[in-house]
Amino acid sequence: MLEYILAKYNYWIYIVLMMIGLYAMMGKRNLVKKLIGMNIFQTSIILFFVSRGVKKGGATVPILMGDGHGHGEQLIQVADYLNPLPHVLMLTAIVVSIATTGVALATLILIYKRYHTLEEDEIMAIRKEASAYKTLGT
Amino acid sequence: MKNWFKLISLIAVIMTGALLIYGTHDMPAWGDPDSPANSHVSPRYILEATKLTATPNMVSAVLADYRSYDTLGESAVIFTASISCLFLLRRIRREKKGEEV
Repeated sequence: MLEYILAKYNYWIYIVLMMIGLYAMMGKRNLVKKLIGMNIFQTSIILFFVSRGVKKGGATVPILMGDGHGHGEQLIQVADYLNPLPHVLMLTAIVVSIATTGVALATLILIYKRYHTLEEDEIMAIRKEASAYKTLGT
Repeated sequence: MKNWFKLISLIAVIMTGALLIYGTHDMPAWGDPDSPANSHVSPRYILEATKLTATPNMVSAVLADYRSYDTLGESAVIFTASISCLFLLRRIRREKKGEEV
């Protein structure tokens, strides 16, 4: 039982983190809090992928030992190095998360300029009021 | 009304989390060197990346040599994001200038 928990507890931690982010995206009404929730979600996925590359038993970072020019390096063993593939994929994911966060923050600045609030229900009330005026006018 | 929506989303989140935790039962153990993620294509990268690309760092060898189209698309993503930020924020600056005049 303890072995099972030790083998799986990292997944559970990432799932809890991911659900915190999902709840912040769904349940919160402040748009900045929704954005923070999206970032927590992305971070949990990044952690999950990086943890997939871990190998037990003395594996090190995927940089070749020796000086890199064929001197002082032994025969390469697959078990000696961590899996480089998840690290590469998560570099791309970090870049995408930075890009989405930047565009979302710029959009939030525009929303604040127009409605002078970042609360979702207040924005919806203002919009409803504006559309009611428009139908009255015509 | 608002608390009702929060309760619904909390229930949905808890159910999704329970489903995902149930799904981890079939996942390989943490740090398993023979797990599918560590055994399919990554041994080839570890064994041959340095030989084929003359880069001791396997992560940068995979990023810039094996998957350079991926990195090209990534830079397209950054470019699109920066262009859209530029247009979104330029409107604000123009509006500010209009207020001053």
